[in-house]
Amino acid sequence: MNEAILFVVMVGTFIGLTALARLPIGLALLAAAVAGALLGGEGFALRYLVEGTFLYLDAMLIIVTAMAFMAAMRSSGALVEIARQLVRTFGRRPVVLLPSLMVLAMLPGMLAGSSTAAVLTTGALVAPVLMSLGLSKLRAGALIAMAGVYGMVAPPVNVPVMLIGAGIDIPYVGFELPLVAASFPLAVATAYWMGWPLFRRRKDDLSEVLAALDEASPPTDDRIRPLQGFWAWTPLVWVVLAMTASRLPVPWLPDLGLPLIFALGAVMTLLASRVPNWAAELRGAVRDALPVLGILVGVGAFIQVLTLTGGRGWVVVSLLSLPAAGLYLAAATGVPLFGAISAYGAASVLGVPLVLALLDAGDVIVITAAMSLLAGLGDLMPPTALAGIFAAQVVGEKKYTRMLAVCLGPALLTVAYAMMLLLVS
Amino acid sequence: MPKYGHADSAEGVTCVGTSPAMRWQPSGVVVLLLALAVAGVTGRDFAAKWRPDDIYPGPGVTTVRRLSDYHPPLAGTAGDTDVYVLEGDRPGGTVLVLGGVHPDEFAGFLAAVLLVERAQVEQGRLIVIPQANASGFTHNLPGEGHPAHIEIETAGGTRRFRYGARATNPIHQWPDPDVYVQASGQQLSGSETRNLNRAFPGRPDGTLTEQIAYAVMELIRQENVDMGFDLHEASPEYPVINTIVAHPRMMDLAVLVVMDMELAGIPIRLEQSPEQLRGLSHREWGDFSGTLAALFETANPAQGRLRGKTSAQLVLEGKDEQYERAARLGRLYVPFGPDGHPVETRVGRHLATLTAFFDAFGMMNPDRAVVVSGVPTFEELARHGVGAYLQPPAR
Repeated sequence: MNEAILFVVMVGTFIGLTALARLPIGLALLAAAVAGALLGGEGFALRYLVEGTFLYLDAMLIIVTAMAFMAAMRSSGALVEIARQLVRTFGRRPVVLLPSLMVLAMLPGMLAGSSTAAVLTTGALVAPVLMSLGLSKLRAGALIAMAGVYGMVAPPVNVPVMLIGAGIDIPYVGFELPLVAASFPLAVATAYWMGWPLFRRRKDDLSEVLAALDEASPPTDDRIRPLQGFWAWTPLVWVVLAMTASRLPVPWLPDLGLPLIFALGAVMTLLASRVPNWAAELRGAVRDALPVLGILVGVGAFIQVLTLTGGRGWVVVSLLSLPAAGLYLAAATGVPLFGAISAYGAASVLGVPLVLALLDAGDVIVITAAMSLLAGLGDLMPPTALAGIFAAQVVGEKKYTRMLAVCLGPALLTVAYAMMLLLVS
Repeated sequence: MPKYGHADSAEGVTCVGTSPAMRWQPSGVVVLLLALAVAGVTGRDFAAKWRPDDIYPGPGVTTVRRLSDYHPPLAGTAGDTDVYVLEGDRPGGTVLVLGGVHPDEFAGFLAAVLLVERAQVEQGRLIVIPQANASGFTHNLPGEGHPAHIEIETAGGTRRFRYGARATNPIHQWPDPDVYVQASGQQLSGSETRNLNRAFPGRPDGTLTEQIAYAVMELIRQENVDMGFDLHEASPEYPVINTIVAHPRMMDLAVLVVMDMELAGIPIRLEQSPEQLRGLSHREWGDFSGTLAALFETANPAQGRLRGKTSAQLVLEGKDEQYERAARLGRLYVPFGPDGHPVETRVGRHLATLTAFFDAFGMMNPDRAVVVSGVPTFEELARHGVGAYLQPPAR
């Protein structure tokens, strides 16, 4: 069967099974992959399906352990304590507060190159502060989701750039300034955009805010020894130090990898605060992560069969077949949309040929930086939408698509900014 | 105010739009049994990748060593691999040829196998490692839809080879860091940690991949290798294709080879190894030893992002309609017509380029010459196919 028809059938099967048959997204993706394999003449393709489900194994481990880390931070009281400190320090000055919180939320993403790491760690600190000051949960969630995206793009670590660089043989050198230019102006603008209600409702008396924070914190067990003052920051300090230690000129710690860093952080936090029901906390974290893990398993199988049957190649060549001006359109739409499968995948599969196609148009470093910005937006694209889903979980929003609607404005601004970078490169 | 930072399971599920499905809950035991059945069935397929490929040393092979002979800690690991030595009667120089640095670049591996099974050395010494990253042959890269094995017909039956993955099997080296800090200090994406051709010159106490790289460097240094070649393939949209990438000290010789290839009707490009891009064989072998280093690239459509249906046939025949479309759009760095890039021409290119280097080096350094015979020519391979020059499978 023709690759184009197969692609349409696979996407159609997925949409039909989720929208009409109400199948969970992960299972619908798996079923669409099976349909693609059967129609593509590959039979049931069990080996391929199983192999595909391992595509995001590392990402899944990061998600599970980051969720456990956040559960530990929450149950130890560290989360609410840090929120209190931030409110006391910056609560009356939104001009300083908003960009500071944005950068704080971006930090783990900048170090790990992962929006999930940002949203589930410092993002989960920033959101309650914003909500306690009166920002709606949708805006607070959108702010940290966008912080995840910009953190993923900002230096020192930008994995999409590294992936594109690997595809076209350019070293990860000289990207610092272009990546700062590609991320920080947008981050600051988005912080003020999402946080503008705080300017209208400035609170001079913070006691009410602090009381609301205490009220919103989960009930604590008397046996817990809450992490207070500086100690509340120690789990985060551990994560940041462990992420950077192995990359120093004289590394003083081996690279443990994000899953182990988060896992050790969770264990240390639970031990230090003597959380009695630690097993239940960890089980809850895994339970929260399971739906997203299911989606990633399904996406892996889907992309495997899409590649096997030629659908992926058809999509890429079709985008490249657009006229010169259309290439920019393809970049602006195709790269973020491909993020529905994976932001990193978008950088590797579409980013590489598009950067090659645009090489004559300008500076390769600026073009690649702009492409990574577009790829980063993929983490807002359903069904995977890792930044969106986790930001919604953090702020307690049940329908993450409502929060994504709030992200739409900053996302469009990001696309326009990336286009501007491509055009002036 | 909503409770923050806490998503109970119901919220967590609803949040990703799956709440209606919560009604559909098969028993956990059924799911577990199903998963075990799937693991059992597919496990056989995955286990088949652990069976080593049969490579039959030809009459030219005088010794078979192990890579761990040059770095003993590799012994018994998945990174150890056979090193075939073909020594001539007359003294001369030493040449090293690596295939399978990237085990999904099939022509590089196959060209090295043909050298082991066919070549005879009259002067000097030829050392061949067909599966430089042996671990990479034990798996496929998820998401690429690659075939597990490739079958080639020979006069005496079908030979079956594993089609591997670009990098070391994560079972042997895991987890990847977020960022790979290469021995030079250069930062690469974490997955490159398992890429042998980003690991040179290696570290004696590093990861498995870095230790393989270190062992190769030790071989080059201990055996006084005059010329070292690394055989690769790349996707047709990759700018460095049908190309020799040579270390600066190798450039003079490479220019001669390019002219020789042009005369033979096999046009090939030449690039100097970039100084900023670290960890690659052609750069680090030259910088960290006295050898003259080069890497060759041919066009394998089965590796590209633009390819249509992925199959063993695509690897062997190299024909692909999506690549033809892309060529018409001017998006490729090699011509791509209906004839594609069959494995015969890709292997033929590697062997013809190697032969041209042997000749040019011998002409300039008669005392260190390496004279090799029995290697099929580009035309012979194109006419008769690769299978005609592989040894038949052992009964």
